[in-house]
Amino acid sequence: MESAVKLEQRSFKERVISMLRVDVRKVLKSRTFYIMLAVSLLVPILMTVMMTMMDGSVSVDPQTGVETVMHGPESAWQSIGTLPGGEAMGGMDVMAMCNINMMFMAVAVFVCLNISEDFSSGFAKNLFTVRAKKGDYVISKTVVGFVTGTLMLALYFIGAMIGGAVSSLSFELVGLTPLNILACMLAKVLLMLVFVPIFVCVSVWAKSKAWLSICASLGGGMLLFMMVGMITPLNSTFMNVALCLAGGAMFSLGLGAVSNLVLKKSSLV
Amino acid sequence: MNAIEIKNLSKSFGAKQAVSGLNMTVPMGAIYGFIGENGSGKSTTEKMICGLIPRDGGTITVYGKDNSDEAVRESMSVLIEAPGCFGGLTVFDNMMLQAENLGLENAEKEVIRTLKLVRMEGAAGNKYKNCSLGMKQRVGIAMALLGDPTLLVLDEPLNGLDADGMRIMREVFTDIIKDGKRSIVVSSHLLGELEKVATHYGIIRGGKMMREMTAEELERDCRTYVSIKAKDMNAAKFLLMRNYTRVEEDEAGYLRVYDNTTPDKVAKYLYDNGIAVTELGKAKIGLEEYYIDLMKEGK
Repeated sequence: MESAVKLEQRSFKERVISMLRVDVRKVLKSRTFYIMLAVSLLVPILMTVMMTMMDGSVSVDPQTGVETVMHGPESAWQSIGTLPGGEAMGGMDVMAMCNINMMFMAVAVFVCLNISEDFSSGFAKNLFTVRAKKGDYVISKTVVGFVTGTLMLALYFIGAMIGGAVSSLSFELVGLTPLNILACMLAKVLLMLVFVPIFVCVSVWAKSKAWLSICASLGGGMLLFMMVGMITPLNSTFMNVALCLAGGAMFSLGLGAVSNLVLKKSSLV
Repeated sequence: MNAIEIKNLSKSFGAKQAVSGLNMTVPMGAIYGFIGENGSGKSTTEKMICGLIPRDGGTITVYGKDNSDEAVRESMSVLIEAPGCFGGLTVFDNMMLQAENLGLENAEKEVIRTLKLVRMEGAAGNKYKNCSLGMKQRVGIAMALLGDPTLLVLDEPLNGLDADGMRIMREVFTDIIKDGKRSIVVSSHLLGELEKVATHYGIIRGGKMMREMTAEELERDCRTYVSIKAKDMNAAKFLLMRNYTRVEEDEAGYLRVYDNTTPDKVAKYLYDNGIAVTELGKAKIGLEEYYIDLMKEGK
């Protein structure tokens, strides 16, 4: 008797859509997702309010006796980036990093937890038994990471505006236009497409070891995190947007292929 | 055409050869009992069948195509080691994730239907982490049944199930292969239970297939024995061991004579020697004993 079994094959589009549906359902049911979003909204409000309250306070180094005067933010836009020709919020180097660009690190944690959960729970077995091609998994994780990153950036932006309003900071665009702000945010969003594939690649390599993927992502990303501020300043133009788009496309395709290869060649359990 | 044909399969983890030159044939419509000691290579073979770990050598053909074929893989389902569920989600949500993974059209209906099959519909709203071991196992089986797969690969699916759970699983397995188009590979250490449903067997040892046979062949190969209970068991044993080549005492305290003889001959022999027989019968060894014998032979 010849095969009476009819084997049906889903198209690439159907596979990607089903994988996306799995991921969206999973993310919407996960606590991590909502915590990340809440943090993205609350951190800029708290930071702006705190920094404004600390404006003008003096701290003295007990060993050297050197006095440091804390400078609070002058403009609400300082949570998004350094004002042209100005200092970062607080006038301290460490504070220059404590703006919206921190979200790139937070996304690293989200992506790593999201992927490592699949392997540690054993759900990866269910996923990969019916998925001979691993590309749909990589695409879906990248898209979900990107969308979550975009949401986090958007919430941080909203939080920064609320924080600015609560602290009565200036919303005046000195030397900037609304288009600059739009281009800056758009460039940051597109820059997610550079970072997320890195985190996905590291996570599929580390599999169930969340700690390893988070450390490797933050460690590896550290080299690039510093560049975020430079590539996407407040006075960004659409050239910055184009640059981020090109970088995002290149990293997504290149690292997507690497992630695919890692999954294909390694044990999935 | 066979459901699965494996030829010369090999896999090593570092210096340890987990599977070595394994050949295996699972006919269409079979419940294939895959038996072996811990670490014999059962799970590794099953993972390779499902494409979860890459193989070092050999071929795995499922329905005539390589197991890396997309259509082949979409027709498979798996329960290996533990159900792949998220502890923080409910049973229903976990099932829905798998339904979405399979791209099922009527996902919710299908999830409820499958949960009903394993009598878990009442626990659909329970968090997975709060389920007992047996309930988790039922969820795993329900998950594996989603989307009517043509090939199920189940590793220790009967672990943790109560008597009712075992009966349900037997019914479900038998129902699945009814049309002769679906096949199940099931590994279990509960050989007594496996024997009730399996149509074919494969016995693996040290990563190599020791023997493959059908349930009929097993039935034929299983030795018969005469079972005796006497008033003076020690004297009976002593006497029987003098006259027969293989006499053993089983866990229930009966003496078993495996030689080619009949109950009346054994009874007469004991009676002639002054031993009163209280119980007498003829029986056949089960899969478990057959397997133990085979392992002893191998050693």
